[in-house]
Amino acid sequence: MKSTGASDDRDPLRQAGESRPAAAAVPLRVLIIDDDLDRARQVEDGLSGHAAVHLATSIHGRPLLDLIASVQPDVIIMDCNSPDRDTIESLRLVAQSNPKPIVMFVEEEGSDQMTAAIEAGVSAYVIDGLTPKRVRPLIQTAIARFKVMDGLQSELRKTRDDLAARKVIERAKGLLMQRQGMTEEQAFKAMRDMSQKQGKPLKSVAENVIAILDMIGDKQDTEGT
Amino acid sequence: MTHTPLTIGFARLSDVATIAAAKERGTFEAFGLDVTLTRFQSWAALRDALGTGAIDAAHMLSPMVVASAAGLGPYPGAFTSAFTLNLNGNAITVSNSLFSAMQKAAPEAMAHLPLTASPLAAVINIRHLLKQPPLTFAHVYPHSMHAYELRYWLSAAGIDPDKDVRLVVSPPSHVLDALSIGEIDGYCVGEPWNTAAYESGVGRTLITSGEIWSNGPEKMLAVRREFADTKHETHLQLLQALLTSAAWVDQPENRLAAANIVSGPAYTGMGMDKVAASLTGENRQTAGRIRVDMPDFNVFHRYAANFPWRSHAIWILSQMVRWGEAPPDTDYAEVASRAFQPDIFREAALPLGYACPTIDLKVEGAHTVPWLMTDATSPIAFGPDRFMDGRIFDPTDVDTYLAGFDIRARESRLAPIDEVQSSELAK
Repeated sequence: MKSTGASDDRDPLRQAGESRPAAAAVPLRVLIIDDDLDRARQVEDGLSGHAAVHLATSIHGRPLLDLIASVQPDVIIMDCNSPDRDTIESLRLVAQSNPKPIVMFVEEEGSDQMTAAIEAGVSAYVIDGLTPKRVRPLIQTAIARFKVMDGLQSELRKTRDDLAARKVIERAKGLLMQRQGMTEEQAFKAMRDMSQKQGKPLKSVAENVIAILDMIGDKQDTEGT
Repeated sequence: MTHTPLTIGFARLSDVATIAAAKERGTFEAFGLDVTLTRFQSWAALRDALGTGAIDAAHMLSPMVVASAAGLGPYPGAFTSAFTLNLNGNAITVSNSLFSAMQKAAPEAMAHLPLTASPLAAVINIRHLLKQPPLTFAHVYPHSMHAYELRYWLSAAGIDPDKDVRLVVSPPSHVLDALSIGEIDGYCVGEPWNTAAYESGVGRTLITSGEIWSNGPEKMLAVRREFADTKHETHLQLLQALLTSAAWVDQPENRLAAANIVSGPAYTGMGMDKVAASLTGENRQTAGRIRVDMPDFNVFHRYAANFPWRSHAIWILSQMVRWGEAPPDTDYAEVASRAFQPDIFREAALPLGYACPTIDLKVEGAHTVPWLMTDATSPIAFGPDRFMDGRIFDPTDVDTYLAGFDIRARESRLAPIDEVQSSELAK
């Protein structure tokens, strides 16, 4: 079961001869934090067969953080009004461990404000009215969004002062432009997409790009998009 | 006259007293406001509600306002405050077993009040030798006075809060259970959760926040900057109602009545036995003794408590830098001017006849006894502002102040969540 079912057709690395298998065998790890067991089970049902689901019911603070550390979830699903939100926030506000994409749900009607809150940068998504069918696509959207908004920012933050990393990315972009005939924007987008799909930092994607393009040398010169 | 509708968010803590009393005693109405109060289960949810306009004002941790002004977190620059709701009010509580271990490890140090963390350091050393896991302490939010007070107290005794113990964030409503079953060994939280630990026999309070830093700011009334700019008159009405209510709550003879309001189901729902001790300052248990009289455990109005000192904002910011949460090149004065608004406070307070400081910054830590503030429209009695280790904080020279601390974060613990355009990489 693939974590992103995305096609590799437009992946410039594939065109350039890369045959990396997608990181597909590992199921999506989902942690549901909810003291309401029935509701948590509904979400679990919606994900059955598509994810490894862990339930965190009535655990708070330290054991909750321990569980997150051991499960290493790809996404956390929780109630907007959960008292555990500050514990989860502590993973984000102070970078003691990797932040996780968070799907937040609200039950009541008229949740426009909370939707807005979440869109304002909490990097999470709202499910109002939890139907099992809706759970999976929402999680995928949340993860994709998280990786753009948060993962990339986090990567950017780390690389901003790191000239070496920056040079690698610049060089890979230059190679893609030169060898694959991409515009600067396309080259960046291609690497960003790969970074998202593979869940890898932009820098290592750039290193792969350079390694592969160096390896195949000038043979692919005419095969640009 | 038509009353302006306004929604204020709050957390389930005793220091909501000024807001609760203003609602229950008709003070908001008297100042032309029709206030709805909404209780929140987490600081994150309260912050989101304020950030997006679901509520107009919030009972907010003072460091959350400063964090926003410093551009940390998801609402950079969005919040500001012209009103300090209360000073002091937190305490550090440990489990009965840790308390006994501290007594065994350092009986002499345990006899000195206020209690330093040196008995705890002795316990940590023993545990280290025995290869036992580190002790775990809970607080309520990364950007909170609770976190900075706990860190200050630990580090003053040579305990590195990021290395020698484990700090976790836990909902206050859970810390009591966590302490009783040994999930955590101690915590720094507000009331009624310290008194509750003692009352239910699961823990002992070691020190109150007012003994770590006398009369430091705790909660602020936070609004959006846009609200302060565009709803200036409503903001002033709100501040005047709160000033009036704070003056009432702060009177010793009114504290029991205030406790009665706060103990109600709409506010803390905790019962008078847990709420009254902290609000009256009587019969507080601290460091293994009953402190009959700690009238300044919670300060709501005296000592010009409601004045939003920019030096308070700068001290909070200094701790964010100390612990790697804000960059070392932070422009302290600039962030403080975005965070706290003393001019708006004066505009609200002076027409009501309250004396106001005429300065925005003061040196913190220089007064070990009550003193008279004369840089004011008329002299104001002030309480002490000492730090437990006797340090002096000059808000105009934070770098020197921070250089004096051996224990501090040596690398950034900044979270990568500030707004950065992804297009920046495409350049």
